[in-house]
Amino acid sequence: MSGEIDRSWRDPELLVKALPSVILQTAFFLAPLLMTVALTFQQTKNYQLQWTWSLFVWTDIFSKGHYWTILGHTLFMAITCVILCLVIAFPVAYALATRVRAYQNHVKVLITFAFLTDATLKTFGWVLFLDKNGAANYLLQQIGFPPAVVDILFTDWATMLGMVYNLLSFAIFTIYLSIDAIDRSLILAAYDAGASKFRAFWEVTLPLARPGIWAASVLIFLLAVGVFLEPKVLGGGKSPMSAELIRQTFETRVNWPLGAALTLVLMTVAVFVVLLFNRVYSLKRHMGPV
Amino acid sequence: MAYPTPTPWMNAKTEARVANVLLYGSVAAVLIFFYLPIFTLIAFSFQEGRYPTLPFEGVSLKWYGALFENSGARDALYNSTVIAVVATVFATVMGSAAAIVAVRYKFRFRLPFTGLSAAPLAFPQLLLGIVLLLWFSVLGRAFDFNTGLVTAIIGHVVYITPFALVIVAVQVFNFDATLEDAARDCGATTFEVYRYVTLPLLWPGIFSAGIFAFLLSWGNFYLTYSLAGSTRTLPTFVFSGIATGSSPLYPAIATVVFIPGILLVILADRTRRKAV
Repeated sequence: MSGEIDRSWRDPELLVKALPSVILQTAFFLAPLLMTVALTFQQTKNYQLQWTWSLFVWTDIFSKGHYWTILGHTLFMAITCVILCLVIAFPVAYALATRVRAYQNHVKVLITFAFLTDATLKTFGWVLFLDKNGAANYLLQQIGFPPAVVDILFTDWATMLGMVYNLLSFAIFTIYLSIDAIDRSLILAAYDAGASKFRAFWEVTLPLARPGIWAASVLIFLLAVGVFLEPKVLGGGKSPMSAELIRQTFETRVNWPLGAALTLVLMTVAVFVVLLFNRVYSLKRHMGPV
Repeated sequence: MAYPTPTPWMNAKTEARVANVLLYGSVAAVLIFFYLPIFTLIAFSFQEGRYPTLPFEGVSLKWYGALFENSGARDALYNSTVIAVVATVFATVMGSAAAIVAVRYKFRFRLPFTGLSAAPLAFPQLLLGIVLLLWFSVLGRAFDFNTGLVTAIIGHVVYITPFALVIVAVQVFNFDATLEDAARDCGATTFEVYRYVTLPLLWPGIFSAGIFAFLLSWGNFYLTYSLAGSTRTLPTFVFSGIATGSSPLYPAIATVVFIPGILLVILADRTRRKAV
């Protein structure tokens, strides 16, 4: 609806609005990132950073399987989390866009509030809920279950539960926006052409909601590879994921170059996975109906 | 609309019923899922006994009293408030301005500009925190300062500005630019156009961006944890409490952290409805 205005990039009105954000992200996002790259070519001695350019850290990373096992585990957890989030979020987003008209705003407010509440607190809440002597077991015991039926705290299952819990809202909102934007008349046209509700959904709604599904997948995946709270608090730190490894490298081992290199490896691999999926996805589209 | 069609495996009525059960059911299930840990925390904060276990020894508000006598918790409350207020102002103003630029103007560096301004959105917070911590450590050595309140605020602004940008951008998309032209034709100056046309029309978006920004900062753990040095906010205070063994004091803090959230979300909903 809004008309786009042609402007020179040197236009003062534009610069006033654009520069603060540009300066902020250059000084405190881009510059630190570049410095992180530079740091990976340094070394530490006795917990002190030495500015001597070498490939020491990189040869270390590529010669030890340990880092890669953890990375593999992280990717597996992240991809599982993406799939679970999509499966759970889709019906909710669809219902929000098409069904719960009267309560739609209330549901949206409730989801927003849960999303904006700090992850540490909610994760702590899960610990109290899932604990052997926690709320879940207590309630189940009251209705006749044997004690301590729920015993998943400090396992990968609990980690996954926490990850899905903390990232699900991203999927719900992104997919909701894409479904909400679909032109109703296209679906009505499908009905007129004799399609059943299910078929109209399958051949009209779903393909049109794809950008939202794709955006949600990328966002959740990128955030999921960086989780540290869930594996630590809910998973009990038993099977560490990359972010926890990175944090330990910085805090406990005080090895900045190694930590910086591990950070870069994680981000690069994550972006690479996204590009790979994107590639497969667009290939499939060109080769025939999905 | 509901056109009767021959279906191979279900008639239209059953199909609709199954779909409805599935859809309403999923909404209900997800809401329960979202609020389970939150209600668990709130419930445990009223526990009388020494440990957060069931069954309750009694219901009391004594942990809330203990909370306000605990100087660590008071400091944390103060720090959280300062960081959130300052970060909200900066992030909302910068994000709104950047949103207008990204959506309204066509210019040479539009794509790199939008990419750079929105990039931290898809960057894991913990890693952003670490990268910034390294940066502040190097700068701190050069200019002799330590991480603390200010570095935490900078971290929050970097992370939250892109959120504000996206939220305001949605509002800018639906903005009718001819209204600005009309004002200009009537002789309004650039400032007047902004003051009386642009800002009022974008206000709902800017307002929700502000509330979002406040809550993201208020409840932020990862960035504060990396960047605040020895300064504690409510979330990092709770985290240190989980590590050292729980007492119902921490659920009580958690409940206190929820309160501004609930109030602001309700307020935002009210204003939005008035605007519509």
